[in-house]
Amino acid sequence: MKQTETTRRGFLGTTAALGAVGLIPSWTTAVFAQTGGTLRLRIGRDNNVLDPGFMTGNSEIEAQKQCLPFLAQYTRDGETFTWEPTYFVTKLEQRDATHIDFELAEGLQWSNGYGPVTASDVKYSYERMKETDWSGYFDALDHVEATSERTGTIVLNKPFAPFIMITLCHGPGAVLSEKAMADAGGKFTTKFPAVCGPYTYEATPGQRAVFSANPDWNGPKPAFERVECNVITEIKAAELAFEAGELGCTRVGADTLARYTKDMPDGAGIAVAGELQYMWMGMNTQHPKLQDIRVRQAIQHAVDVDTILQGAYSGTTAKSYGIICPGLIGQRDSAGYSYDPEKARALLAEAGVSGLELTLRTLNNQERMLTAQIIQANLAAVGITLNVLPLDSGPFWEMGQESKGETWKELELWLMRFGTTPDPYEASQWFTSNQVGVWNWERWTDEEFDRLYEEGINETDPQARHDIYVRMQEIMDNTGAYVWINHEPEAFVHSSGVTVNAAPSGELNYRRFAKG
Amino acid sequence: MSENRSESETGILAVDVSGLSDHVTDAETRESAARERREKLRMFLTNWQGLTGLILVAVFFASAIFAPWLAPYDPNALDVPARLSGPTLDHLAGTDQLGRDTLSRILFGGRVALKIAAIGVSVALTVGLILGMIAGFGPRWLDSLLLLVFDTVRSFPTIVLALATVALTGPSLAVVLAIVIITSIPQYARVARTATLTLRNTDFILAERSLGASMTRTLLHHVMPNVVGPLLILAAMDVPVVVTVEAGLSFLGLGVTPPTASWGTILNEGYLVIRDAPWMVIAGGIPLILTTLGFTFLGEALRDIFDPRMGKGR
Repeated sequence: MKQTETTRRGFLGTTAALGAVGLIPSWTTAVFAQTGGTLRLRIGRDNNVLDPGFMTGNSEIEAQKQCLPFLAQYTRDGETFTWEPTYFVTKLEQRDATHIDFELAEGLQWSNGYGPVTASDVKYSYERMKETDWSGYFDALDHVEATSERTGTIVLNKPFAPFIMITLCHGPGAVLSEKAMADAGGKFTTKFPAVCGPYTYEATPGQRAVFSANPDWNGPKPAFERVECNVITEIKAAELAFEAGELGCTRVGADTLARYTKDMPDGAGIAVAGELQYMWMGMNTQHPKLQDIRVRQAIQHAVDVDTILQGAYSGTTAKSYGIICPGLIGQRDSAGYSYDPEKARALLAEAGVSGLELTLRTLNNQERMLTAQIIQANLAAVGITLNVLPLDSGPFWEMGQESKGETWKELELWLMRFGTTPDPYEASQWFTSNQVGVWNWERWTDEEFDRLYEEGINETDPQARHDIYVRMQEIMDNTGAYVWINHEPEAFVHSSGVTVNAAPSGELNYRRFAKG
Repeated sequence: MSENRSESETGILAVDVSGLSDHVTDAETRESAARERREKLRMFLTNWQGLTGLILVAVFFASAIFAPWLAPYDPNALDVPARLSGPTLDHLAGTDQLGRDTLSRILFGGRVALKIAAIGVSVALTVGLILGMIAGFGPRWLDSLLLLVFDTVRSFPTIVLALATVALTGPSLAVVLAIVIITSIPQYARVARTATLTLRNTDFILAERSLGASMTRTLLHHVMPNVVGPLLILAAMDVPVVVTVEAGLSFLGLGVTPPTASWGTILNEGYLVIRDAPWMVIAGGIPLILTTLGFTFLGEALRDIFDPRMGKGR
């Protein structure tokens, strides 16, 4: 009998041959499948804290939307978003500038024997939020009055027009069972103490979160009996999984969005959730190298944003002119500067600066790294040497916060993207004077900006609000601390057998998905 | 001629005992050495793997050294309108997301690999050799201490060590180099130590010591020449490891920083657009594969020649 021996050389040779074969390009034919009543999706990480008061957000909000009651939900109104009452209420009305009346639907029951959903649960949930990590969303809340078992009134401490849109529709607006929370010790992490919604929740860390039909739910049945959210960290891996028919829907990156827009795979569609994200390059106005406003203005003029949109985002994103996103009150169509390398050189010469070397910090992902390299080339063209420092999300999100160390003192330039809700107030709150060293990493203060911020909250006339937010962005431009880059949409590719429902900030709401 | 050959950890130690052969004339010794060299050269020239390896390694060195003259474009010059264009006569390996010429970036990426391999391996070899000889020839407590250090360093997985270091210092070529050196030293040191331990009680070393030679002189003039040969072969085998470590770290974003071209960053950028522009991954992967194979074949062939007992079939 012939014996086959594996030798080191044989192994090397075989591996080389297999590697060469592997390099031959192959394209799989995309197969999209929805098996029975199961929808398979992707989440980027495990849900570590489901408690609305202490969550990180994103997929945790998605889980809350399936398992907990909300009083309001987003709905599209043409190109913009507005709100509507959910199934959980029979009434949600703004009686006057500071009072919102609600009436809960009949027959809503908490799981695990915690009885009906009551107005006092709403009172407990919202008043509790004022003491949590997400308290900023409830600054305007004074208290909640429970007038009967199912009715109550949300009382604001000042007129705050966007309260329903940015608070009640979003993750922090989730209602919890007061009794279940008491039994859970007032907080929870990866397991809901009680659910009231179409799905129950169970997760296996590092693998998946599974939403199964809730046997106690007597409201409208969702389109899919079971939703499996697989933990897939890499967005590219998720895209391949979708094309292989393993996922029914997943978020896609800019280059894939461009490819699909040009050549959509059979049986697939694209859903764009909204462009409620704003990205910019920030500059630390207090850093010795950047204290001279002419240097900052030179950098504003040196960066070719149009090239960034093409090179890093494949032309799939909207050019930004400030913090207010497309479709919102206060959005601008131009910034206070333009790409002009000659002017940049002149400003640097006027400031007497030469041989300037700066460091740009950015998250280490494809689009940001490409953006950074274009900026690097742009600044080199006007005589500024730029070192790019890619960072993981942990150190990146802490670097400008005074409470997290001393890195904020060394910050020079950085690429930043914030997400927002469908009201301009939310985006403007991070740049007030009291945010210096928290989220205002550019570290400027302006009394007029702070005053306008308060006026924007209280103002109800749309035109007046528009003028306020436009002026606030002009003030930001004038600091020279910002190069506005883009508003990136949250885009999802999905099987044509699935109709996607997503919040404007990009969270999916599986209970509102439809078939076909 | 007497022969006193001992086997090291890798079994490739050859001992130089020419100094003890008083009865052999110089002419005979020279003739014997020349005959041995001719035999080894003949063995090498008839070994197709060795020749292939030598050619691949030569191409690697030449393309890296002469990259500024061979590259058709500035590797960092952006041409966004021409982004992700396929292989053409103008751009033989196509362009990347920013319209940079992939071939030029591959050639310049070879310089990074060469720099890491040359500096990393030579420093690790030198330090490992010195520490290994000290461990093998020094007092027992020092040997134990150094062994503990070697084993501790070896117990850290390279990537985990890289992640921790980069988290503290940020990514850079210097960090990659430091990681390569630190993680490579123990393997050279261990081989050098074993070989030194074998030599320390041989007749010619004992004779040298009894004549009053210092430890430094003994190590430099008598131990090192007998230990360095196997280490050089080990170094040739280690180069592909170092090249792939650099590429791996750069692939993960832990290596060189933009806009420096590295095979790892080219692969990373290519992987992200593999469905749109597969030529980036192919063009970035081929030099990595060929260089790795080249050094491996060359190292294997050298080992066969300098230690015939490590023959085929191993």
